[in-house]
Amino acid sequence: MSTVTAPAPARPATKTSLSFAHLLRSEWIKFWTVRSAAWSLSIFFVVTVALIALMSLAVVSSGPNDGPPGPDDVLAPYTVAAQLGQVALVVLAALAITGEYTTGMIRSSLTAAPRRTPVIWAKFIVLAVVFFVVAIVANALGALLQQLFFSDDLPLDLGDPQILRALFGTALYTTTIALLSFALGALVRHSAAAIATVLGALLVLPLLFQIPWKPLQEMQPFLPGIAGSNITQTDAQVEAGWETFPPGVAHLTAWEGYAVLAAYLVVVLVAALVRLKKSDA
Amino acid sequence: MIEAQGLTKRYGAKTAVDGISFTVQPGKVTGFLGPNGAGKSTTMRMIMGLDKPSAGSVTVNGAPYASFRSPLTEVGALLEAKAVHTGRSARNHLRALAATHAISDKRVDEVIEMTGLTAVAKRRVGGFSLGMGQRLGIASALLGDPRTLILDEPVNGLDPEGVLWVRNLVKYLASEGRTVFLSSHLMTEMALTADHLIVIGRGHIIADGPVDEIIARGTKSTVRVRSPHADQLAAALVRPEVTVTTKEAGLLEVFGATAEQIGDAAAAARLTLHELTPISGSLEEAYMTLTADEVEYRSDSPIPTTEPATLTKTEVAR
Repeated sequence: MSTVTAPAPARPATKTSLSFAHLLRSEWIKFWTVRSAAWSLSIFFVVTVALIALMSLAVVSSGPNDGPPGPDDVLAPYTVAAQLGQVALVVLAALAITGEYTTGMIRSSLTAAPRRTPVIWAKFIVLAVVFFVVAIVANALGALLQQLFFSDDLPLDLGDPQILRALFGTALYTTTIALLSFALGALVRHSAAAIATVLGALLVLPLLFQIPWKPLQEMQPFLPGIAGSNITQTDAQVEAGWETFPPGVAHLTAWEGYAVLAAYLVVVLVAALVRLKKSDA
Repeated sequence: MIEAQGLTKRYGAKTAVDGISFTVQPGKVTGFLGPNGAGKSTTMRMIMGLDKPSAGSVTVNGAPYASFRSPLTEVGALLEAKAVHTGRSARNHLRALAATHAISDKRVDEVIEMTGLTAVAKRRVGGFSLGMGQRLGIASALLGDPRTLILDEPVNGLDPEGVLWVRNLVKYLASEGRTVFLSSHLMTEMALTADHLIVIGRGHIIADGPVDEIIARGTKSTVRVRSPHADQLAAALVRPEVTVTTKEAGLLEVFGATAEQIGDAAAAARLTLHELTPISGSLEEAYMTLTADEVEYRSDSPIPTTEPATLTKTEVAR
């Protein structure tokens, strides 16, 4: 720390200004320059690909149940992989914003972009794109392995729009859940609180709502995890799921379910943006 | 140029900044001096739009900070050391900030070199010392080559060589016609660095003027006289406007008379003088006088006061 150089030489005026495209670039740099990004994405990737392969193996070796393997059997590994893999993205998404609050970085970010809300939007877009791409690639690689080893028992018909939608929907679901975690992190500004809330809503609430009490049962299809995961299934699977609900409970189609999840995201995100805009940083 | 008009910040029942108005002119270093909790940081945060004023307004070059199309080239700020993600390297932190304004990596490397961070630029900020964090904060402030610089306690945690560097840097930046506004609770540092002072205490502005003027206003000049005939001399000096205090046997402190008058009086009474020293006030003394009623946190335990071993006005002027 002993270097002392002469103060700034006069610089030729360059065209510098704040813009949303520049903010996207900044958030892109921020995302990749902390270790948690590479770690979490690797964990998500490995868990997803490995679980698809392992679950496919489990499905095949558990022997033929009552008939030829149907879409249930082919898609089941993807759903299981998504349920576990999403934890890594939930953590990463929350840290992407809470890390700025716990370290004080947010004040540097808001000094550079004093209108504030564009910072959150830029981060949101970077996360959405990265998560969706990584989820698609991980699921595609899992599908490749599945078809390489188990195509006889679990044929994946990519010509079937229902199957395609379910696979695409799995990546969309994982991404949206992670973005919900990001929005919650932006709202509560505390890593543990945001992560615990999202994981609680996904893993604990569904158990709680199985208590046979009418109001709870009626709300069950609207839980973010349950509603949102409709998009990871074929229409036939969604309809079969309705049969397991008690009578009188709402039936959400795949896209209706996803819309419910998206509504949660919008509500939390708007609350976070309002808090950011109104309060002192 | 920074202009505040009736700037006020309240937190619940507590008023941190109470309707202050001031102007920070370009081309000179303006010091923002005050005890801890006086409202310095809150004021600076309001300038940068991080805190919303409860009342009043503040503008930089005529507009609120948030309204600039290119905020970082307009104002560079160091508001607190380590407003930095601890997991990112210093260089990547600066690159991310620079990217918001499409500032080139070349400029990033330039400010790294300028602030003496080259050797540690690739290290994660979490391991930085306070001084290195402070240098990184200054590097961020310089990134956009801004017309206005706002530095909150910039020399905090810096080694003497770093302090000297900051002092020269801010003077140089001001000499280029930029507006430089820096806060400190260190009076000696201010005396050496600033051209103009705004003194704040408990959210009020207590003084606003050139450094020399503030020192003159807050201090009274005294003359120290040492003489074996101190008592007789004291008697000879008695006049309504003159106060003589006996510090110890043979040592007087005279207020209200010049050294010449005292010397003449001693000669007239044929009294021997061993010492005749005019003592100018120090900024520290001025500051104590000015902020006497405005300190937020006071240590009530009596501390034995000795002669203030601080800078005299002549040293200040240097």
